[in-house]
Amino acid sequence: MKSIHAWLIAPILALAVPGCARNSAEPIVAADEETLSGKLTLTGSSTVAPLVTEIAKRFEQRHPGVRIDVQTGGSGKGIADTRTGVAEIGMASRSLKPDEADLTAHPIAADGVGVIVHQANPIKQLSESQLITIYTDQIRNWSELGGEDQEITVVHKAEGRATLEIFLNHLGIENPVVKADVIVGDNEHGVKTVAGSEGSIGYVSIGTAEANIEAGVPIRLLPLGGVEASTARVASGEFPMSRPLNLVTTGSPPRLAIEFIRFCQSPDVEDLVKANYFVPAARGPDVAE
Amino acid sequence: MSGGRFHASATTPTRRHQIPEFFTAVAVWMAAGLVVATLAWILIDIAVRGISQLSPSFLIEGVEDAGRAGGIGPVLFSTMLILMVTLALAIPLSLATAIALTERVDQDSRFARNVRRCLDVLAGVPSIVFGLFGNAFFAIMLGLGYSILTGGLTLACMVLPILIRTSEQAIVAVPNEYRYAAAALGLGRSATLFRVVLPAAAPALMAGVVLSIGRALAETAALIFTAGYVARRPESLLDSGRSLSVHIYDMAMNVPGGGSRAYATACVLVALLLAINATTTLLLHAAGLQGRSVGGKG
Repeated sequence: MKSIHAWLIAPILALAVPGCARNSAEPIVAADEETLSGKLTLTGSSTVAPLVTEIAKRFEQRHPGVRIDVQTGGSGKGIADTRTGVAEIGMASRSLKPDEADLTAHPIAADGVGVIVHQANPIKQLSESQLITIYTDQIRNWSELGGEDQEITVVHKAEGRATLEIFLNHLGIENPVVKADVIVGDNEHGVKTVAGSEGSIGYVSIGTAEANIEAGVPIRLLPLGGVEASTARVASGEFPMSRPLNLVTTGSPPRLAIEFIRFCQSPDVEDLVKANYFVPAARGPDVAE
Repeated sequence: MSGGRFHASATTPTRRHQIPEFFTAVAVWMAAGLVVATLAWILIDIAVRGISQLSPSFLIEGVEDAGRAGGIGPVLFSTMLILMVTLALAIPLSLATAIALTERVDQDSRFARNVRRCLDVLAGVPSIVFGLFGNAFFAIMLGLGYSILTGGLTLACMVLPILIRTSEQAIVAVPNEYRYAAAALGLGRSATLFRVVLPAAAPALMAGVVLSIGRALAETAALIFTAGYVARRPESLLDSGRSLSVHIYDMAMNVPGGGSRAYATACVLVALLLAINATTTLLLHAAGLQGRSVGGKG
């Protein structure tokens, strides 16, 4: 029996050894500065994913040995997957919470949250206290705010959405006190809902709203605290209700992940950030320029 | 369609009967008209908004600028691969199960009834649950990751109940006289099955397959967490690949300014479904299998 086993194993070993040799050679090549190789998986925020997909494509062109897979599922999934190691990098469209201090956030862009109404709505501006009264159902008609005699349809985001957290944090109210008429998921969903009903009010990513206004969707962004809601004002840091778009890693990410995050933060991808209606993250040296 | 029957029975009416007959006929025809109108509205809406974006290059080119430019070539390719994995697994498995349930065990045995009950429960499970199961079992536990294979296997689990139930009904619908005739000619059980019963049931079996293809092509929730979101052309079944439905969802919901592209992709998806349906009908006609039209048996 033993001899038979030996005969069986010998060819397998002969086949396997060259394979091993090649595998062990790969990390040496990867250590070379110019020829990065390997595979990277990112999961998380569906807001960040389209942008990172484009950045990843450009990164792959520069480093042909690299494959970057971008998956979605929401900021929460990105953070969970990074912790369990399913993904090397997570994507989150919010700052890390105190109980997520085991992870490191790398900002790559910023996004403002703006209040939108239908284009036909004559209202010019709403103060933060007025917004609170609308969202807590103390005011139900636009005429009470100087608008037309029309019922207010309050469009609110679903629990767990990053825009919802920013909106509530900024107004200083808790989710249970909000009395919404319509609950929406994504930003595009919010835009479509407000565009489809004249008396409605909602809040979405300013970049998404600007893109839709450009495309002729009948909505209007309202200024907040006297500051115009635009990507330009988010970039300058003047607009009060904004959120960072982060890449999230554990304390010791692999080298490829570090290289990719650096690339995401570099001026080389600024055009992609702007093309996706976001604002490039403020960088120390660049801001000085 | 069923309105015709009411007209037929109303040929020798008394005046008292005429009025209710008339209203019933109107109500039935209006219901049918509403269904057709809804379908027409959806198709026309998608076509009007999407067709201007369609071109041969749209079907071939890669996804550019997060989907706002370029085409859907790799997405179409991934969709086909996922579908192939799904069908390669689901068809043999479901056909074998259906044969076992109809030809091998007693129709009303406790075993058969319990299997059927399980399948009906499975058929009612929301697809997102299959997605989470696929992610936990195939992607993480079996280590297949986000991949075409994970997506295909998950969809196979999802369409199995429909496919088994339709196959079972197709086989049961074959008249028993066929089986008696085969037995009288001295054919064995297997020969009867493969030479007589299955060919006779083929149109209805195909109907089940087409239904499953439709369900698989339309699936989004189960695929986001399994086949994934990567819009690159997959190089193997272990690569992640975005399906048409996931692409439509992403264009409509996550990409600002992607709405028209979502409609164009929806056009392609609907055209694909109609083409699969039409081809199946045509093939069955060519094979000389008349009768029940595809989709009519579901």
